[in-house]
Amino acid sequence: MNSVEGLLTQIQGLSSTASDVLSLQNVLKQADESLHAESTRLLPFLDQLDPSKHSLGYLYFLEACTAGPVTTESASSFVLVIARFISSCVAEQIRLAPDKFISVCKRFKDQVLLLEEPLRGVAPMLTAVRKLQSSTEHLTTLHPEFLLLCLLAKCYKTGLSILEEDIFEVDQPRDLYLYCYYGGMICIGQKCFRKALELLHNVVTAPMSTINAIAVEAYKKYILVSLIHHGQLSTSLPKYASGVAQRNLKSLCLSYIELANSYNNGKIADLETYVQANMEKFGSDNNLGLVKQVVSSIYKRNIQRLTQTYLTLSLQDIANTVQLNSPKEAEMHVLQMIQDGEIYATINQKDGMVRFLEDPELYKTCEMIEHIDLSIQRLMTLSKKLTVMDELISCDPLYLGKVSLPFPFIKLF
Amino acid sequence: MDFSVLNEALASKSFNKIADICDNLMLQVAAEGVPFRDEWPFAIHLLGHIYIDDINSARFLWKSIPPAIKESQPEVVAAWKIGQKLWTRDYAGVYEAIRGFDWTQQTQVLVAAFSELYTKRMFELLQSAYSTISIQDAAQFLGMSEEDASNCKHAHLCLCREVSYYFTIFRCIA
Repeated sequence: MNSVEGLLTQIQGLSSTASDVLSLQNVLKQADESLHAESTRLLPFLDQLDPSKHSLGYLYFLEACTAGPVTTESASSFVLVIARFISSCVAEQIRLAPDKFISVCKRFKDQVLLLEEPLRGVAPMLTAVRKLQSSTEHLTTLHPEFLLLCLLAKCYKTGLSILEEDIFEVDQPRDLYLYCYYGGMICIGQKCFRKALELLHNVVTAPMSTINAIAVEAYKKYILVSLIHHGQLSTSLPKYASGVAQRNLKSLCLSYIELANSYNNGKIADLETYVQANMEKFGSDNNLGLVKQVVSSIYKRNIQRLTQTYLTLSLQDIANTVQLNSPKEAEMHVLQMIQDGEIYATINQKDGMVRFLEDPELYKTCEMIEHIDLSIQRLMTLSKKLTVMDELISCDPLYLGKVSLPFPFIKLF
Repeated sequence: MDFSVLNEALASKSFNKIADICDNLMLQVAAEGVPFRDEWPFAIHLLGHIYIDDINSARFLWKSIPPAIKESQPEVVAAWKIGQKLWTRDYAGVYEAIRGFDWTQQTQVLVAAFSELYTKRMFELLQSAYSTISIQDAAQFLGMSEEDASNCKHAHLCLCREVSYYFTIFRCIA
């Protein structure tokens, strides 16, 4: 036990200045193995350390304690300890050992799930993400863990807040796939279909050398959300999608492609028959809710198509064309679409007519100008980042090695 | 549990902040591992989401409430009923849900504020969606009797009786 005691004293002594902490890190790295050997007896020693001052040392001890398999017993004892550590630790210190921090946080997630209380983990995991990331543009391995907890705890609004940030730096490809997939699910839950489509699109078109399950599931949801939001699905993936995705994704999501085809024909009865026949498949993919939304969106789609042909139309005619049961039902559908901003129209109940109108937006208001200005600024920032990236890549030896030069390259030294 | 921020918001009538305050407080309390659900003001939390028209969050909150609480706290069920009517777009049903329960004093303030806000939203919807509407339907949308509806003048909307059974909707420049 002497070595542990000695280690504690060193942690307490070497945690005040940045240079001290760096020397402490070396000490801890060397002591790591012996800490792991004593893992079952370390918990009481944690009381002698202050997580807000001795964050790095505390982290090493905590990681060693929680290294074993997660049991309900160990979960109940550690969950609160880790939550409090996360909220009081110093970001600069824990960033010196990011792998250990990630490992502790993942354990925390496992424990919280074992105790069947995902809500307990949401706030601490968000704090952990903020402390680990070097900037809001940096995607860490903890981002998808946080989103997973939000999904399981049904805290969709909290999850949405982190999705507003633009990501430019990614640690691991798998982090990006999962982050965008879970993020897409959160947006779907909050009915932010445009953002969901963007995130799912990122998974599907991300670079990948082999097809992975996350991309397949993302593509299934992408198809359904595309139908709900745009009323159509583009038949091919964009050129920048990986070759692997282009060749394999469609064949792995056949029932969904068929659904999209049936939807395009506009016949509600056929669509409903197809959905009935494939109910089990959609259910086992956990996509039944989305599929139902696709079916109800077909009425909207058909009504919107009418606006392209008619200036005014009677409610009875709308009901007949779109296959609704009565003019009253047609009126309710149109009213809901007006409420949601999906159509511009006025209903004349006296005559039983609907008049379709042009989009009244004149793009002259202050809000609109502000919106355009912000968008331009975002684009300029993005453009600068791309220029920097382009310069970095054109100096990269790997890239230069692959690019064949038109003239023989003579070395001048 | 420290509900002072929430009580302050209710007292100062900052109803649009209630949802965020409740969400953040719930996450903090849950992180401490405190069993909070029995004392949690779910009715106010639900109404907070309903007030800012975030029915999705209200729905998810409802799903996360344990069945025992749903059975023992009728006010929570009544609060969700309003959300349910909004979700299914049963425009007239919302008023029934608001009036169909004897709210506690603290909740009553929030419900009354929402009722006013909802009527205003309905006026605005009628104004943008209809050029003429029957008195009967208008009364249902606005939660009033036909008598009251025909005599009503709202700051943003003038309802004018044209033919016996229909209103023509004019836009008033207030």
